[in-house]
Amino acid sequence: MIRFPTLAWLALRNLRREMRRSALTAAAMTVGLALLILSRTLADGAHEDWIDSGVRLASGHVSFNAPGYRDSESLDDRLTAGQVEVALAAAAATVPTSSDRPAITTVRVATRGLASSADGALPALIVGVDPASELAFSELGAEPADGRYLQEGDRLQAFIGAGMAARLGLRTGSRMVLTAQVASGEIAGQLVRVAGTYRTGLDELDEALVHIPLPVARNWLGVEGATSVSVVLPHSTLTDPVLAETRATLEGSGIEVVGWPETARELYSAVRIDDAGDWVFHLILFAIVTLAILNAVFISVLHRRRELGLLRALGLSGAETGLVVFVEGVLLTVASGFVGVALGFAVVWVFFRNGLDLTDMMPADITFGGIVFNPVMHPAIELKHLVQSVALTTVIGLSASLYPAWHAARLDPAESVKVE
Amino acid sequence: MNSTSDSAAPAASEHAVRTENLWKIYPQDPRPVEAVRGVDLAVAPGEFVVMAGPSGSGKTTVLNLLGGLTRPSRGKVWVEGREISALPDRTLAQVRLSRIGFVFQSYNLLPVLTALENAEFTLLLQGVPAAKRRRRVRRLFDRIGLEGIEDRRPPKLSGGQQQRVAVARAVLGEPALVLADEPTANLDSATADALLDVMEQLNRDNGTTFVFSTHDPRVMERASRLIRLVDGRVAEEIVSGGAG
Repeated sequence: MIRFPTLAWLALRNLRREMRRSALTAAAMTVGLALLILSRTLADGAHEDWIDSGVRLASGHVSFNAPGYRDSESLDDRLTAGQVEVALAAAAATVPTSSDRPAITTVRVATRGLASSADGALPALIVGVDPASELAFSELGAEPADGRYLQEGDRLQAFIGAGMAARLGLRTGSRMVLTAQVASGEIAGQLVRVAGTYRTGLDELDEALVHIPLPVARNWLGVEGATSVSVVLPHSTLTDPVLAETRATLEGSGIEVVGWPETARELYSAVRIDDAGDWVFHLILFAIVTLAILNAVFISVLHRRRELGLLRALGLSGAETGLVVFVEGVLLTVASGFVGVALGFAVVWVFFRNGLDLTDMMPADITFGGIVFNPVMHPAIELKHLVQSVALTTVIGLSASLYPAWHAARLDPAESVKVE
Repeated sequence: MNSTSDSAAPAASEHAVRTENLWKIYPQDPRPVEAVRGVDLAVAPGEFVVMAGPSGSGKTTVLNLLGGLTRPSRGKVWVEGREISALPDRTLAQVRLSRIGFVFQSYNLLPVLTALENAEFTLLLQGVPAAKRRRRVRRLFDRIGLEGIEDRRPPKLSGGQQQRVAVARAVLGEPALVLADEPTANLDSATADALLDVMEQLNRDNGTTFVFSTHDPRVMERASRLIRLVDGRVAEEIVSGGAG
């Protein structure tokens, strides 16, 4: 359209004339977008935090198992020593490295059994671990509630939850017996000594999960390989690409590669539900913002009926008159988009260092989806969600301008120029 | 409709504007209002025609029909021999842009533009290059006593200056006719006379066709032809020795 530059120039002039109105209309979009960015980054940060905590206590972002193990959790469905080496090599070859958050791989032999003391017995998930890699992987032993975590060279030590210690009357240095069905099918016991205890805040974990050294587990249970090779990635968004690549690499090897959404279904559901809730909240927020913008732009059209009628008299068609109003909306949206992104990042930056601390608003140890909520929320910027936020604001800004533009296009010029 | 008939190019015609059995009926409860009832008009190029009549006689409606701002319920309007009553919106807008100038009673100017920008707005839409636009505007401003106010916005102009800027805008595009709806209604006597002098001068020097609607006797005195409207009909036509 040849006259578009003229119409855009006129639209810009119109916006500049009513600076206060334009600024207030833009402010609705700017603040809305900034809040959306803050809210999305905090939600993304919180979700990443949940996923990271959850997968560290479970099977990592990506787990290599023998087919059938996830359903049976039986030693019969284990990886051979050779398959463990293949899985470790595949992980090393495909997992991206990050200087600040390196990927961590750990080998585990896990079985269900009983933990007993003189005071009683509890069902237990007994996991043979490599102390060095497991310490970085699960971080269970980073801050023991009592005693210490397992160390290289430990033989008959166990690291148990504070809940189990309380229920079985154990403390650091106490002895306990672990009983489980070993690879041969027989029931066998293993005497261990409590090296230390942990507290996650999750009762079902604190009363059941026991770590023992991997060589002890292998020897006791009569296995050479492992039940799983698990990997914690630098970021959960890497899960799908790593899964795709390792699955392609390990095709036909008899090794199953699964991602955290399958191994931690409850956590995955929790993230999805929270994400959906966030979007519903955002859509409600933006529906209100849309109405506010629509109201402001529409009122400005009603105030300028005579002016718009004059434009028609001077030779603009209805569509071109509507286009002037629409371009005003576009210019406001673009300006608001830039300022909104800048403001959003500025606010996010404030929370980058120390996070948003909700400790005073939340009771301690709230658990959901198999993890304990961290009351300090740290924002995380995900490009996909940032683009979605900007796109949503753009759609809203433009759609809020459509009706006023349509109304302007349909104004009767003869009636409009009569308006006093 | 083919491209030739959609074009807004002027055609040779003995009339700047002509109507035939023109009706405008507004649907209203309990009865439709017949604002214009069978008006036949013919305005020759260079005429200075005034339509007069009491309020509600249909003056403004006829003017809007002549300018293609509203469509007739019945009848036809020709501008320079081209029928405009049934043109599509876009083509009709193009006709208004290139062949018709408007001057309204008040609030004639776009408040976001300076006097010069308002005056050149039609030329801008017509695609006239900036240097040529500015030259034509300044020349006309000098002729009609608007020199020195080019950069002022409408709120900084007097009523008379605003109307003269509107007249400048209306004539700069060299239209077939200028339609002026009560242009002196908000002006004091001296300012109204000065404005009419300008319009008379443009009519005389450039041959610009003017059609007024008014009940201002000062405007009627200057008419080359006075058309009295009563109840939407032409009641009387008086040819006088005024402008044109």
